Amino acid sequence: MKTSSELRLAPGTVVTGKWNRGRYRVERLLGEGANGKVYLVEHGRRLYAMKVGGDAVDLQSEINALRALASRRRRAEPFLLAVDDFVSGDGAEYPFYIMRYVRGSALHEYLQREGADWFPLVGYNLLRKLAELHESGFVFGDLKRENVLVGEYGRVELVDYGGATAVGKGVRQFTELYDRGFWNAGSRTAEGSYDLFSFAVLCLHLFEGRRLLQLSQTVLPQNRSPADLIRLTDRHPMLKPFTGWLQRALRGEFASAREAAAAWQRIMYGGGVKPARKRSSAGWAAGLFACTMLALAAAIVWMMTEGVLPTGLS
Amino acid sequence: MRQLLLITDGCSNVGMNPVVAAAHAKAEGITVNVIGVVERGESISSAEVEIEEIARAGGGMSRIVNTRQLSQTVQMMTRKTVVTTIQQAVNRELRQVFGAESVEALPPERRGEVVRVIDELGESSPLKVALLIDASASMRPKLAAVEEAIRDLVLSLQSRTGRSEIAVFHFPDSENGEGCVCDLDWTDNIAGVKRILPRLEMRGTTPTGPAMMQVIDFFRQGDYGRTIRGETDGMMGEDVV
Repeated sequence: MKTSSELRLAPGTVVTGKWNRGRYRVERLLGEGANGKVYLVEHGRRLYAMKVGGDAVDLQSEINALRALASRRRRAEPFLLAVDDFVSGDGAEYPFYIMRYVRGSALHEYLQREGADWFPLVGYNLLRKLAELHESGFVFGDLKRENVLVGEYGRVELVDYGGATAVGKGVRQFTELYDRGFWNAGSRTAEGSYDLFSFAVLCLHLFEGRRLLQLSQTVLPQNRSPADLIRLTDRHPMLKPFTGWLQRALRGEFASAREAAAAWQRIMYGGGVKPARKRSSAGWAAGLFACTMLALAAAIVWMMTEGVLPTGLS
Repeated sequence: MRQLLLITDGCSNVGMNPVVAAAHAKAEGITVNVIGVVERGESISSAEVEIEEIARAGGGMSRIVNTRQLSQTVQMMTRKTVVTTIQQAVNRELRQVFGAESVEALPPERRGEVVRVIDELGESSPLKVALLIDASASMRPKLAAVEEAIRDLVLSLQSRTGRSEIAVFHFPDSENGEGCVCDLDWTDNIAGVKRILPRLEMRGTTPTGPAMMQVIDFFRQGDYGRTIRGETDGMMGEDVV
C-alpha cells in the first residue's frame, strides 16, 4: 500500500493534475494530517493549500465531507477548489485536492503569541464552526489543538477533515486524549456531543496541559472518568468563568453545538446579566479593531509623522 | 466480513508454519492482521519477518508497536481492513460494470459516489473479529495493555451501524501446549466481563500456526449456525472450547 509519508515534494516541484491539467508549484510543506501531507502551492499567482493523500478512498471520504459542508454555505468563499491526481517521478499516482490557503497558526501557538485574552472569542468562533459542520450532517471527530487554525482577529478554520464522519456513524479518526471513549465518558458514535467533549478537553489542554497529560498517563484505563476532567475545570482563571459550561460539555448535556455556542456567548458577555446582544462577536471584533486603529492614529499624530491612514480602515 | 487479529511478540516454535495457516485463513475469506507488541526499548527483530509474512499471506497488514500505541493500532487496523475488504469487493464490481480497474482509475468527480458507498457498506456490513493473543511468558507484562485494547476495540465496534462481534482466544493451551483456548465466544458486549484473559500459567511454547488453524475452524463452526450446534459440537476440537 502506498503511503504519502513515502512521498515528499521538494519546494519548486511542479505538480500537474492528471485529469484537469492544473499546474501547482510547491512552495513548502505546511503540515501532515492522518490521510496525507499538506503543502503550500502557487497556482495562477495565488497561494493555495494542497493535500496529497496516499490512499484515494481515504482522501475521497474527506472530500465528500468537505463537499457536503460546501453545499450548505454557498455564499461563503469556497474551501475546496479542485480535486485531481498526479503521477510522481517514480510512476506512482497520488490523489490530491486543492483548498483555500488559510494564513494562521495552530490554536495554542496563537494564544501563546497573541495572548490568552483571545481565548473566549476564538472558542466561540470554533463552536460556531462546529455547529455549522454538524448542521450539514457531519461531526469533525479529530478535534485537537493542531487542527484548529487561527487567523487574524481570532478567525478560526478547521483543518484536516480526516476524522469527519457522517452523523450516526462510528467516528473515523480520533486522538485518544480528546476521545470521550478513552475517558469512559461515552460512545464513539458521531454526534454533536462527541465534538463538544473534545472541545472541552481542548480547553483543558490549553490551560491545564500538564495536569491533563498526567491524568491520561497515570490513571488506569478502567478508572478514567469525566469526573477527573471536571476537577480540572475550575482552577485556571481563564477557565473559571467557563467551568459550568465545560462540565456540561464533558457530561454531554448540550443538545447541539449551536446551543453550546449560545451558552458560551452568554458567558463571554457578562454571564447573561445584560439583555442578549445578538451577533455581538462581529461587533466585538470590530470594536476592538476600531480601538486599535484609534490608538494607532493617536500614536501617529503624537509622533508628528506625515503618515496617512489607508482609506477604508478608519 | 471476517478478520483474525494476531497479537504476539515472538516467533512460533511449535507445529505448523503460521504463514501457511494464514494462507488457509485467506482462502476461507478471513483477513489476517498481525501486531507485534513490544515494551519500551525491547527489540523483536527476530520475529519481525515472520510477523510481516503472516500478514502478507493472510491478506492483511502488520505493525510493530509499543504497549501504549496498542489500543489505537488495533482500532485503526480493524477499521482500515474493513474499508480495504469492501474496496476489493467494489473494485470487482467496477471492473464488471465500468471496466475500470479500481476506484483510483475513475475520474475524481465519479469517485465521490463510489466512496460514499464504500463508507456506507464499511459501516453497515456485519463484522466478526477473532483476536488471537500470544500468552507465552514474555507477553505476561503486556497482557494488561492487550486487555485494554480489546475493550477499546469493542467500544469502537459498538459505534458501527452493522452487527459487530468479537471472540478472544489465547495460546498456548496450558493443558497440552499445542493449540489455543477460547476465552470469549462471539459477542458484541463485554461490559459484564471482568477479566477477558485469565491469569495464565506460562509455558515456553509458541504454537502460532496450530492456534490459527483452530481459530479458522471456529469461524467455520459459526458458519454452520447455532441452530445445528448439536451436530457441530462433535467436530469441535476439545481444546478449542
